Amino acid sequence: MRYQIVIAGFGGQGVVFLVKVLALCAGNRDIPFLGTENHGMSQRGGAVSCDIKVGEFTNPVIDNGQADLIIGLDPNETLRNLHLLKKDAYVVSNSDRPFPELPFHVALSDGNAKALAGEFPIQGLNAYMLGVALASVDNFPFSVEEVETALRQINAKVADQNIAIVHQAMREN
Amino acid sequence: MKQTKKQTLMGNDAIAWGIVHANVDMISGYPGTPSSEILGMVQKIKHQLDLPIYAEWATNEKVGFEVAYAGAIAGKRTVATMKQVGLNVASDALMSASYIGNLGGMLLIAADDPGFHSSQTEQDSRVFAKFARIPVLDPATPQDAYDMTKYGVELSERFQVPVMLRPVMRVDHAREIIEMDAETHFIPNAGEFQRDIGRWAGVPRAGRLQQGYDVLDRIETIKAYNWEHHLQPKFDALKGGKLLILAGGTGYAFTLETLADLGIEADVVKIEMPYPLPAEEIKARFDAYEKVLVVEEPYPLIEEDLAHPKLYGKKTGTMHKIDEMKKEHILMALQKLGVYEGTNIYEVPKFDLGFDVPDRPPALCPGCPHRDIYYAIMKVFKKKKSIYPSDIGCYTLALSQGAIDSILCMGASVSMASGFSIADPSKTVVATIGDGTFFHSGIPPLLNAVYQNHRFILIILDNSTIAMTGRQGTPERFHQNIDIAKIVEGMGIKCYEHTYSHEMQENIDFMKTIKSEFEKPDHQGPLVVRVRQFCILDNERKDDWIPNLFAEVDPDKCVACDSCTTVYKCPPMAYNAEGKIEIDPFLCAGCGGCLDVVCPTDAFQLDAIKSKGGAS
Repeated sequence: MRYQIVIAGFGGQGVVFLVKVLALCAGNRDIPFLGTENHGMSQRGGAVSCDIKVGEFTNPVIDNGQADLIIGLDPNETLRNLHLLKKDAYVVSNSDRPFPELPFHVALSDGNAKALAGEFPIQGLNAYMLGVALASVDNFPFSVEEVETALRQINAKVADQNIAIVHQAMREN
Repeated sequence: MKQTKKQTLMGNDAIAWGIVHANVDMISGYPGTPSSEILGMVQKIKHQLDLPIYAEWATNEKVGFEVAYAGAIAGKRTVATMKQVGLNVASDALMSASYIGNLGGMLLIAADDPGFHSSQTEQDSRVFAKFARIPVLDPATPQDAYDMTKYGVELSERFQVPVMLRPVMRVDHAREIIEMDAETHFIPNAGEFQRDIGRWAGVPRAGRLQQGYDVLDRIETIKAYNWEHHLQPKFDALKGGKLLILAGGTGYAFTLETLADLGIEADVVKIEMPYPLPAEEIKARFDAYEKVLVVEEPYPLIEEDLAHPKLYGKKTGTMHKIDEMKKEHILMALQKLGVYEGTNIYEVPKFDLGFDVPDRPPALCPGCPHRDIYYAIMKVFKKKKSIYPSDIGCYTLALSQGAIDSILCMGASVSMASGFSIADPSKTVVATIGDGTFFHSGIPPLLNAVYQNHRFILIILDNSTIAMTGRQGTPERFHQNIDIAKIVEGMGIKCYEHTYSHEMQENIDFMKTIKSEFEKPDHQGPLVVRVRQFCILDNERKDDWIPNLFAEVDPDKCVACDSCTTVYKCPPMAYNAEGKIEIDPFLCAGCGGCLDVVCPTDAFQLDAIKSKGGAS
């Protein structure tokens, strides 16, 4: 398997958390993978995009036109990174507005509105969008059970809440 | 053969495990992206497994290097860790350490940042290794970083000289499955200083000259070792043909993938130790090829050492010369060399979204007190009549408020304030520096300013943490007797004190008193202010400071004047579809800083429900 995922958002949204979750999913199945993250200055509220490449790769950076999927926690950050996607890739994004016509499979969900309505805390936006990806992406490389295991490994304290949010997203999308 | 296990790790965590598995007794250094997580992870492992390791931050990289180096002289195994520009600070010690050498293994980790992700320069630490004449290892992946950390410590002990590990950001902050020692059986090394004055205290000229000869001999020995153990086995396994690629570090990782993507076959040699290179032996192998391409970053180090008519790289304009490695750069090099005739598969048509996606540069966090202090400074010390030198840290982001005029390197705000005050006495120089940076290298220039009577204002933004790099502690946080005010007073001048207030007017009033103090006819020399504040990401302290006063906008009062989006610049504030400012409820930290003064028409008002803990 070779599958390349871009995770986009801005500093503070928990983009790196999703990289860690997907990395654990791959690691637990002993599939090789490479991920890359933003730390330091690039994390301070600015645009953040992290890559994870599952399968036989030797470098962690996703080049233009190569990604199978983008999970975006912010509509502008999703749109900023479309050049990384290959033809017929999947776009899963938090968005309060429709996207222009794009040559991709697009799944949008207004996570901010749901958080504002008290359906989940905004800190769970990353877990929610992961659930949207599980629900909408036909070739998503990991099962919901694998995601649950990774969420428990990464932070047992908030795992139940995150898992509930993932399932909520899968029901709603 | 040791048992191994597989674990999913980030590069810096892998390096930390490598340090522990190499039985390193002491690690010191200074935080700096992308190196910062290494020492913190060693601290975690040390506490988890209760290991007798010294793992502590130093006040700056030079101090950290010297602590670790003395440990290695005394027979311990040691590591010094820093980012590439930190090595500039430690370089004085490094240059001499290369002459003197060590007994226990010492690994110097200098993390490079090609692409300027979090650094003010793109300098290549491998060049520093060559300058100091010490061997350098260049990992391509987190697995390499783990293996080379252990190997580098051994190598240092074998050749009795510090060895550099040079991971780049795409290794430090990459994540993969690492195969590492299954068990940790830490064996501490005895530390016993052996007096050897001729070696440890060698002086010019005779002592150091002899050590200089030793350095040259040693580097020749390591060159031969590099050929025998690293390079010759690789070259012997090659077929020869049209193209040979010599690839260092991440260059190797990017090269393999590019060749696979393009379906091109070429011989590739991974250069694990780019200095010292056995150039003659390598060049003798060029006979089997038409062309040789070097893929390395960021500087042409290997390329310069192997100068040859068949050799291509940055200097021939074949590879990119600046910015981060990309597969596209390698593809284009292969096109230039006539090895690849297909299209640029990494080129995609530009999407026409019908609008431009607005930029989102890094910014001071919502609720960060730096924003309010800079706002107050600019309110009182007007831009036209002031110069604002600043320094390295989170507060550098006040650039977007227009509150910073110069940034050079750690500690330079103070010395540049001196320089500006001499060169342009018609303006008031108001310099800003964080407490971490003040301890790192702000003290000597302040001493100089007092000594030479330089007239400027220095504002020390004291949040008791090195915030940008992950909130490592500053000296006064863990040793309460260390007091910035006493350090300043020890120079014979007063230290003015202010405590950050969420009521903007109080910050402004304080700056006004500072202005009048500074303008008194009998005031001489620098005027120093310490502002006590906090970091909004500092979970131990922030709750004592944040008043939970959330703001909302009265749309009838907002006249879209741009004041808040240009001078105050708090990320939750943005225009909505109606052209009025709106506050993003998910981003507002409840600091209350904008509720007074900031809006000229007083449109920011208290969101009473949210401020009492209810939903907005």
